[in-house]
Amino acid sequence: MRLRVRHATRYRYTTPVDLGSHMLHLSPRCLPHQRVIWDRIAAQPPALSTSESLDHFGNRVTWLSLEQPHAAFDVVAEALVEVQFPAPPDPLATPAWEDVAAQARQGGPEAWEAAEFGFDSPMAPADPDAGAYVAPCLSRRRPILEALLDLNGRIRRDFAFRSGVTTIRTPVSRVMAQRAGVCQDFAHVMIAGLRAHGLPARYVSGYLRTRPPPGGKRRRGVDQSHAWVGCWLGPAHGWVDLDPTNDLVVREEHVVLGWGRDYGDVSPVRGIILGGGKHALSVSVDLDEE
Amino acid sequence: MHADSADPIRTPRAEHMDEMVDGKGGLRPHWRSLFAACIALEDGGIAERGHRLDRAFEDEGVTGVLPGMATQPTPWRCDPMPLPIPSAEFRALEAGLAQRARLLEAVLQDLYGPQNLLADGVLPPAMVYANPAFLRPCHVIEGVRRESLLQLYAADLVRGPDGAWRVLADRTAAPAGMSYARENRRILARVLPELFRPVQIRPLRPFFDMWQDALRRLAPPERANPAIALLTPGTGHPQWFEHMHLARELSCVLAEGSDLTVRGGAVYLKTLRGLQPIDVVLRRIEGRLVDPLELDLGGGVGVTGLMDAVRRGRVRIVNDPGSGALEAPALAAFLPELARRLLGETLRLASVPTLWLGHAAARSRVLADTAAWLIRPATDGLSPAILTEGLDPPERLSLLQRIEARPWDYAASAWTPPSVAPCCTAAGLAPRPIVLRVFLVFDGCEWRAMPGGLARVLGEGDRIAGRLPWQGLSKDVWVLSEEGGDILGPAASVAPRLPIRRTAGELPSRVADTLFWLGRYVERLEDSARLARAALRRLGRGTTTPRDVAELQALSRCLKRAGLIEAEDATGAAVARALSDALLRSVRDGGRILHQLSRVAQLTEAARDRLTDDMYTTFTQALRVLRAEAAGVDGSLDTLSQLLLGVLRFCAGVAGLAAENMVRAGGWLFLDLGRRIERAQSTSAAIAAALDQQPERIEAGLRLVLELCDSTITYRNRYLTVLQPGPVLDLVLADPGNPRSLAFQLAAMRTRLDEVAGPSDRLAATAAGLSGEVEALVQRVIDSPEQAVEAANLPPRLRAVAAGVAALSDRIDRRYFALLPAPQAVGVNEVADETIRGAA
Repeated sequence: MRLRVRHATRYRYTTPVDLGSHMLHLSPRCLPHQRVIWDRIAAQPPALSTSESLDHFGNRVTWLSLEQPHAAFDVVAEALVEVQFPAPPDPLATPAWEDVAAQARQGGPEAWEAAEFGFDSPMAPADPDAGAYVAPCLSRRRPILEALLDLNGRIRRDFAFRSGVTTIRTPVSRVMAQRAGVCQDFAHVMIAGLRAHGLPARYVSGYLRTRPPPGGKRRRGVDQSHAWVGCWLGPAHGWVDLDPTNDLVVREEHVVLGWGRDYGDVSPVRGIILGGGKHALSVSVDLDEE
Repeated sequence: MHADSADPIRTPRAEHMDEMVDGKGGLRPHWRSLFAACIALEDGGIAERGHRLDRAFEDEGVTGVLPGMATQPTPWRCDPMPLPIPSAEFRALEAGLAQRARLLEAVLQDLYGPQNLLADGVLPPAMVYANPAFLRPCHVIEGVRRESLLQLYAADLVRGPDGAWRVLADRTAAPAGMSYARENRRILARVLPELFRPVQIRPLRPFFDMWQDALRRLAPPERANPAIALLTPGTGHPQWFEHMHLARELSCVLAEGSDLTVRGGAVYLKTLRGLQPIDVVLRRIEGRLVDPLELDLGGGVGVTGLMDAVRRGRVRIVNDPGSGALEAPALAAFLPELARRLLGETLRLASVPTLWLGHAAARSRVLADTAAWLIRPATDGLSPAILTEGLDPPERLSLLQRIEARPWDYAASAWTPPSVAPCCTAAGLAPRPIVLRVFLVFDGCEWRAMPGGLARVLGEGDRIAGRLPWQGLSKDVWVLSEEGGDILGPAASVAPRLPIRRTAGELPSRVADTLFWLGRYVERLEDSARLARAALRRLGRGTTTPRDVAELQALSRCLKRAGLIEAEDATGAAVARALSDALLRSVRDGGRILHQLSRVAQLTEAARDRLTDDMYTTFTQALRVLRAEAAGVDGSLDTLSQLLLGVLRFCAGVAGLAAENMVRAGGWLFLDLGRRIERAQSTSAAIAAALDQQPERIEAGLRLVLELCDSTITYRNRYLTVLQPGPVLDLVLADPGNPRSLAFQLAAMRTRLDEVAGPSDRLAATAAGLSGEVEALVQRVIDSPEQAVEAANLPPRLRAVAAGVAALSDRIDRRYFALLPAPQAVGVNEVADETIRGAA
């Protein structure tokens, strides 16, 4: 499936910004099942200095530094991507969740990279409420993927998709209490709950197709940055991405920008500005078949 | 075991090794001459010298907390009895620590590079990924790796009952204490020269020279005269003294985060002459705070874009921001294996036996015999260790449960009773447990130890391991030199010939700002004291005649303008009562004069690295005395009068010391400019307030004006006893030769601004314009047939002059110190409301 992405971010400031430094996670990651055919980032005003690199997680990062006074900052990221994630393994053939947790804790050649995602992170610590919520899915010796698919469906049913009731800073415990939020809240809930049981889970940032495939129902979380959860099934099966906002297994409707321990590691546009007074943010995302 | 055994001092003495005596009733050989010198001391012996040492540290402001603040600082303390270490023993320590430093560098290179130690299972993931000091932005996935992530390393050591030193904690982030070690040596040598005579000890100075050289070598080779900045959180930091001291020792610019800026991927210092490049940053802030863009926001102590500049190779940070990851206490459990693997060597200097409780076998071993182990957080090297036997049963249970739930978060180190050394106590010399910190620097080829160190005396209630406490007692550490003379450090590298400079090229904007405000506050303090004293004199003699009443009313207006009193409408006897109450209030907590004293103390501390030691010491000692006097002011006006006299002497002393000790450039210009501006404002405002009355009463105002401007004697010499508006106003407003006149201030401002900004600058022209106005005002009075009437018309015009001076001050502020808008974060953790001051 070839998908074309356009992600436009606009900051408008009440007074001019003298100096702005931004760190962008806006370039899709190259993956075995995601081919990035082309991509570009354009900023207005143009940056005086730009650099690109890979971050600790292997995500593509761009740094922009704006050193002239400006009243607005626009950044548009576009890409053409071909995605086809493989079907997940047979859930019943995956190992018991306890074994996966034990392997992650052990580390070593096959598990050390996954182990990183089993520890607390600032926005997704092993939350006791989230852990208790996840617990019913993790019955004794249950195959990990069966448990995860069960959890993916439960979050979709139990949590209301409501924008405006949470912000970037809303902690998992609050989302658990109010049972409502948006995609990044659901991703954090799932991650925090799995970590409470020692299971590695990572926050995946990306986009979801604006229009569902023919016959499909309308998805939640389109027209904006989307987020879902990468879950580790042990060394034999590796990672599978689950979208708890829509109870989907990620196959060909999603484009991956990158991943981290939580939103903080991969926020699409992060910046420090000097001046600017109050700022207003508008974001638009389009993702469709080419 | 005793319930308080977490306290190392109370464990049975027999367990501890004694540094001085050999257990068979004899002195160890390297103590003999020292001990003899100590016994031979005259004038009250060692105890008296201990008191003198305490006083010396206090007088020189060797402390962590601001002088003159409400909470009095606990000054640094050094025991008069040093800790001698034989040369061969120290050589062995140095070799062992140098190997550890090499090993830690290799571990850092791996963790922030290929991470083979994790992939091969040598280190468990928790040691890195559950370690808050592992900073992911420092991980280099592609591109050029940085060399020597560590340049500075320190280790805390204890000597066990078997006589072997072992490492209790590795310090790899920004280890503190070197300046304190150096101050211990300097002041001890001054107070106790007798102890130094019979022994040869290795000096500390070459170590600092070598370090300065090593820092310079980190700069790009094409930079002939590299610039090094020491990044400090500022005067509020507990180790501010050390930051200031190190900046001087190492010839660094002392900079706060807001003094530095990243442009085009390179780091610059904001100075009066624009942006100056910085090549090396010696950080004294936590690694996770160095760059709010990629790391923690940290309330403005970091520099936005610093990590990008590091990645581009445009600046080096010492130590690398991620280096703190190796302070994890649990790492000690893995060091022997890491040494074999990374260096192919066995570890020469062992850690105190340490286990990581993430291993099930280690856990059961520790839980089976908790009394033998200190429990420590696995990755946090700054929290103290816990001895479980010292805990209440519920606390103990809760700790064991936490270990059970998250075992990877804990480590355990074998309880090692530290060796004891003789310390001066109220009851004479007594053995006390000690922990030794030794410092090493990588000179580009090898690791070299400071021949000395910092020994910390554990007091009652001190817990072992963890952060170095800044109160309590320390010891100077002597490394005895070998026969045949001292081992000299390497010759310093030859610096290129410097061009001659006589200007204030690189004065950081913040320093200029601080000195400017120091000048203003000293003057404000003087003004307050002068006014208060004028009021006291009148209260003393009572107010009977109409002339006295008029004078008191004029004075009340001045006092109100200066914020010393609130109401001016009280009449009769009540005026005296209200006035004296208000004046007494001004030197108590929350009072105006006390506040001004505190501000002067804070600004003195902030400007400390630009003042000579003599100036600093004189200022702070005087401020301390004044604060003590202020606290001693009772209901009587006599004590208040004494205090005010002291304040006036202090203010005069500042002016004198500045005039005699500061080079007439940069810093002094701003100090003087601040003082002139403040005096111009207060003089014009005070004269306006004094003259603000009916023409027939103007004489009272004139007399007051002469007194406030300290010009009574001059006037009498010139005009004898006849008081007329024209001559009085000429003397206090227009006479350019009277250092208290407004004209004098304006002329001085103009000269300073000429020097700061260059001739024919608009700021200097504004000052000149104000001078002209004042001259014209006075001329009008002199030319008038009714001088008193004309003088009574002056107040609004004088207030306009004061406003003109204030506007000029604002323009100076904007041009040179420029308040930067507050940095704010967008996109994540959008919280940054603190205003950061700095210059654009």
